[in-house]
Amino acid sequence: MTETLTCDLDPEPAAPRAIETEFEKRRGVSHTEVRDGYAQVHVTNLIGDVMPARLRVLQAVADASVSIDFLKLTPSGLSFLVSSDEASRVKSALSGAGGDFSLRLDRSIVMIHAVNIRDEEGLIAMVMREAISEGTAIDHVGDMHDRLLLVVSEADAARLNRRLEIRLNEEVTLGN
Amino acid sequence: MKFGGTSVATPEARMRSALRVISAKEQGFKPVVVVSAIGRRGAPYATDTLISLLREIDDEVEPEAREMDLLISCGEILSSVIFAHTLKTLGHSSQAFRGGQAGIRTDGIYGNARIVGINPVSLIRSIEQGHIPVVCGFQGTFVNEPGAPGGELTTLGRGGSDTTGAALGAALNADAVEIFTDVDGIKTADPDAVPMAPTLRKVTYDEVAEIAHLGAKVVHPRAAEIAMQYGIPLWVKNTFSDDEGTEIVSRENFPGRRVTGVTHTGKLVYLQFDLSCAGESDRTLLESRIYETMARYGVNLFMLDVSPNSTGFAVPRSQYGIVENVLDGLVIPVEGDPRRVYLFQIGRQASREVETQAKLLGSLGEIRRVPAALTEGCTMVSLVGHEYMQQPGLFLNVLSVLSENQISVLQTSDSDYSLSVLVAESERDRAVKLLHERFRLTEVS
Repeated sequence: MTETLTCDLDPEPAAPRAIETEFEKRRGVSHTEVRDGYAQVHVTNLIGDVMPARLRVLQAVADASVSIDFLKLTPSGLSFLVSSDEASRVKSALSGAGGDFSLRLDRSIVMIHAVNIRDEEGLIAMVMREAISEGTAIDHVGDMHDRLLLVVSEADAARLNRRLEIRLNEEVTLGN
Repeated sequence: MKFGGTSVATPEARMRSALRVISAKEQGFKPVVVVSAIGRRGAPYATDTLISLLREIDDEVEPEAREMDLLISCGEILSSVIFAHTLKTLGHSSQAFRGGQAGIRTDGIYGNARIVGINPVSLIRSIEQGHIPVVCGFQGTFVNEPGAPGGELTTLGRGGSDTTGAALGAALNADAVEIFTDVDGIKTADPDAVPMAPTLRKVTYDEVAEIAHLGAKVVHPRAAEIAMQYGIPLWVKNTFSDDEGTEIVSRENFPGRRVTGVTHTGKLVYLQFDLSCAGESDRTLLESRIYETMARYGVNLFMLDVSPNSTGFAVPRSQYGIVENVLDGLVIPVEGDPRRVYLFQIGRQASREVETQAKLLGSLGEIRRVPAALTEGCTMVSLVGHEYMQQPGLFLNVLSVLSENQISVLQTSDSDYSLSVLVAESERDRAVKLLHERFRLTEVS
């Protein structure tokens, strides 16, 4: 490798050439993966002031020592994700906590990894478009600094994962 | 050693920064300096000031990205030369380097380039000859292939100088990368909201990346990612104090469970599209078109919400103009029986454009309005943690304290490292303070 500008700086014989270190070569999605084993809980028809009613539901779940993820506030209640192993405990906890509840088993999280995904303009929207165009029913969406997380049925997860890997890699490589 | 804008803003600040470099040299290290442009917004050579030189010619004409990069890179070039000369006046030989001269090679995306490789041969030679190299942050050179002649000057976009510092540290196999700024390190909350917020002594790369993405811009996540990838110890320190600063370490070196801090983003606008006017197949089409449009216009989305009959997200206030332009009045015709035309309307009151579209499109088919509820003046307040987010009762704790204090939560979002709530911007500081107190973050270190 020649770096002509640095040669102007020093007429002495060149120092041993350093090896080039590679950095942020890849933009956009690096890979995707699937995490199975979740259940989605929907609580609806909470009566009266919704926020205190939601808090009562969350209190019941906390009292059962169940950890929840992907909490979403809905007009008349809330939804969240629990580990499938906790489903029966959640069921008991929610009986009598107010409102109606339903459990959807066999949920998975599809994780789309992309460094600085929140800073990559339009990338989250692009992933969403791909997932929706695929016809997958998305239960919930979350994001972290390096990934987008989509909660879908286990049946859809593998298919969506494959589709996203192919399409997003193509698009990111060509688009950028 | 990377010095931010305020650390090189005045002769006094540059002197303090230069003395830190000399002190490192006298301790036996071989310092390599990276500098940002002089000063922050409004300063004569700050990046924003340079941009305004083009904008004031004609704000309607968008400057070429290539020329913009040439212009804004001047801020760091000036800064590096002045800093090198400051070191010289203190009796230490120094050489200034542009990014390309320092061997920083980027991809060809003007204004938001990524570093693809660094060959630090010229820096190594400079050090061997007894100089202190001072490198321009935020810039590199795009060449089609390694070794190709010439090259285009590119800038690295947000967090560029931090990224330069971390990447050079990795390429030079540095003992550490120190990012000098005007605060003592990474704090548990914005000191404007919580004046007593302590400085964290150690945080993990993942925590700092999450904190930075969710609002606290002390160190850019790109820099943290690079330092993490190459295992380079990264420090955030205050140029103007002797505080020991914050060390950013790998998770293996800092195990344990805790809440790290509370952050907040800037101004957001929340949009919730009501898709109940559409059948199932049309809903997929409408949602797909919404996200496709946002992707095409490079809009960053937060707090996404997908429900059977609606979809919603928050966008930065600065990008809302684009969203309004492209979505308000958007028309999506669908063939079939009946032939139908979807017309997007943002906000309760139809804009003139929407009304005009409705009149013009009446003959094409049944018009179905897709209303989007608009909530302006929101912000995202986030609790960032380290193996804590799966703690039972965490959501309850967060929502309770806000509810008890009459702060309405519009939506929530969470991940392995953070739990965020969308609240009115006017409640931002109060929400930060309440969560800081509830999770006893003054006791964190």
